[in-house]
Amino acid sequence: MHDEPTLAAHLRRQGISRRSFLKFCAATASLMGMSPSMAAEMAEKLGKVTRPSVIWLSFQECTGCTESLTRSHSPSLESLLFDFISLDYHHTLQAASGEAAEHAREAAMKANFGNYLVLVDGSIPLGEGGAYSTIAGRTNLDLLQETAKGAAAIISIGTCAAYGGIPYADPNPTGAVPVSAIIKDKPIINVPGCPPIPLAITGVVAHYLMFGGLPELDGLGRPKSIYGETIHDRCYRRPFYDQGKFAKTFDDEGARAGWCLFELGCKGPTTYNACATTKWNGGTSFPIESGHGCLGCSEPNFWDAGSFYKALSAPISPLGKAAAAAAAAGAAAGVAITFHNRSAKAKAKAAHQTVTVKDLEK
Amino acid sequence: MSATLEKGVNAFREVMDAPIASFFNSCVHCGLCADACLFHTETGDPKYTPIYKLEPLKKIWKQEYTLLGKLASMVGLSQPVTDAELEEWSPLVYDSCTLCGRCTVMCPVGNDITYMVRKMREGMAASGHAPAGVIEATRKTIEQGSPMGILPKTFLAQVRDQSEETGIEIPVDQAGADYLVIMSSMEIMGYPEFLGSLARIFKQAGVSWTVSSEAFEATNSGIQIGVSDIARQIVMRIVDAAEKLGVKYVISPECGHAYTALRWDGPNLIGRPYKFGVVHVLELLDQLHKAGRLKTEGKTDEPLTLHDPCQIVRRGGVVAEPRNLLNMVASDFREMEDCGSYNWCCGGGGGVSANHRAEELRFKSFQVKKRQIEGTGVGLMVTACANCRNVLEEGLEHYHMDTKMIGITELVAEYLKEDKPA
Repeated sequence: MHDEPTLAAHLRRQGISRRSFLKFCAATASLMGMSPSMAAEMAEKLGKVTRPSVIWLSFQECTGCTESLTRSHSPSLESLLFDFISLDYHHTLQAASGEAAEHAREAAMKANFGNYLVLVDGSIPLGEGGAYSTIAGRTNLDLLQETAKGAAAIISIGTCAAYGGIPYADPNPTGAVPVSAIIKDKPIINVPGCPPIPLAITGVVAHYLMFGGLPELDGLGRPKSIYGETIHDRCYRRPFYDQGKFAKTFDDEGARAGWCLFELGCKGPTTYNACATTKWNGGTSFPIESGHGCLGCSEPNFWDAGSFYKALSAPISPLGKAAAAAAAAGAAAGVAITFHNRSAKAKAKAAHQTVTVKDLEK
Repeated sequence: MSATLEKGVNAFREVMDAPIASFFNSCVHCGLCADACLFHTETGDPKYTPIYKLEPLKKIWKQEYTLLGKLASMVGLSQPVTDAELEEWSPLVYDSCTLCGRCTVMCPVGNDITYMVRKMREGMAASGHAPAGVIEATRKTIEQGSPMGILPKTFLAQVRDQSEETGIEIPVDQAGADYLVIMSSMEIMGYPEFLGSLARIFKQAGVSWTVSSEAFEATNSGIQIGVSDIARQIVMRIVDAAEKLGVKYVISPECGHAYTALRWDGPNLIGRPYKFGVVHVLELLDQLHKAGRLKTEGKTDEPLTLHDPCQIVRRGGVVAEPRNLLNMVASDFREMEDCGSYNWCCGGGGGVSANHRAEELRFKSFQVKKRQIEGTGVGLMVTACANCRNVLEEGLEHYHMDTKMIGITELVAEYLKEDKPA
């Protein structure tokens, strides 16, 4: 596959029209926060690049991220992406199996050392020496460390790879950790979500292809262009929030009228993602549009953040040990002071002399 | 002649309960209560800030019920409460507080400042710092039965008069009646027509009622001066008489603090529930009207307004009833600005009207009421508290206003539909 000179030529051979390609570039440019004029430039640049080798590592995951990327019907933007890159290793999608599959990974690493992209979905279990998840007899940790060595960059696809996700949730029996806990010497882009929006995945890859570098990231390692605003700020139900109109149950008048789901536990106000704008299933809808609050799936620790149905103003996590000890000490001090004050009051009560009208003057 | 500072300070310690401790703790010093108090708004003097009126009580709380306060007084940073201090605070606690409760509803953290002033008066009275006028009213209540010195025979004479005037027999000491009617001494002396009006209404509505020769005084000076021992004794007179007659309800008359004393404070003072219910006369009239037993005919066209008595409306929750009744008999009822639960006090509640020392301040703070009345542009003001009515009439005279006043019950009785013999 590596003999293919450019993307544009490859696409033409695949029967993908220039029109479809430009459309993809325009959509990706707008998602990545670039000016419309960049679409043409992107098309030009993308058309010229040779397809980079991509190694997709699936660790402790549910394959939902891959589903997200591939479930869209063709000719979608996402399927186009498979033609932009040379996906040399991917458990779910590759035809090869057994030693041949591992050989494909090793060959790609060798041929493109220092230049290939590693996409990871799933967390890495460290418990029991990594025995909870192995591929071809090797632990995920081992595979990741080996594969990461020659990577140009690592893209952590999904909340598990980015922040640990559900395997990482309390009590984390497998000792799962995110990619960033292991790899310290390579640039890492987090594309969280459970699963991430397909366009977020393709957008980051397109950005890398076009500019050869990483997009601007926020404090949690996410591309600002996609994760720059909260679901809440971009939600079509936001005007109801501003008017104080809230659904109180999932089947009341307010719910039917499409009022804000804040009181039903929507995590939109604290969740940074693009669901409210790009939507899902080819722009059909997103969770809030189908009547359910946002779960906050693209945020770290979302699974441990209390009930999905508890409003945000309620405390979302149990007290930490230090806080609990402080509260206990405070309660004990309170009890002691109460006893002291009660006895002071009881003494005063005992000293009470009935006041009659004769006792009102000095 | 046995009031002492020690007794007063002991009383401060005694009243310190969880609400007071948490109120002092919660105060954020925002000063919103100052703008809620008519004594502050009309004088502009910051010493009339409601929470400041509690300073000595707060000092005792800090010194004896908080750790830091204890340390401060141990190292001499905080001085004990003195007689001179309490004397200085007496006008703040008694003259410039009518227990109207406006500061309480305005407080953003929900401190019941009114409750605290009421409790603070326990210590002020026990240490001999209650004003002479209020002491006098309390003495008369205990010794003669009424703060204005009305004896049972005076009351019974008024009952007879009203019986004759209306041609309706007013039952006295009738055991087994449904309702016992009591009155405030202000009504007995100044507005006895209240009783006649009630007799006419009850006749039409077929209400079984009685008055008592033993308990006719509804007001409670013990509450106003802030001596629970005395308040208990006064409330027991009504409880004893009502339970002896076996009535189902005692009707609290058109008197604010009487309602508070009997309805809210009474059971706490005597430490048990009553064997009867307490209903305010306006609540009863509204109930009778809704049940179709009270019928009126015609309406006055004269524009009128309503002065909401603090204890009945803001502190008592009887907000809709006076309005229902007024709309029944008046075609042009105009609300004042800040009406209902946010109404401004007449300036004479909570013992202030009996406190001669407070007279000048009372007239000064009446200006807010004056503005309210003038704002409505009407010449007739209705109210449901005889003390309010008396204080308002004095204020109107002081400012040479020609607004007339009437009680709601009387007004309703004027438009009573006469049953014609079929």
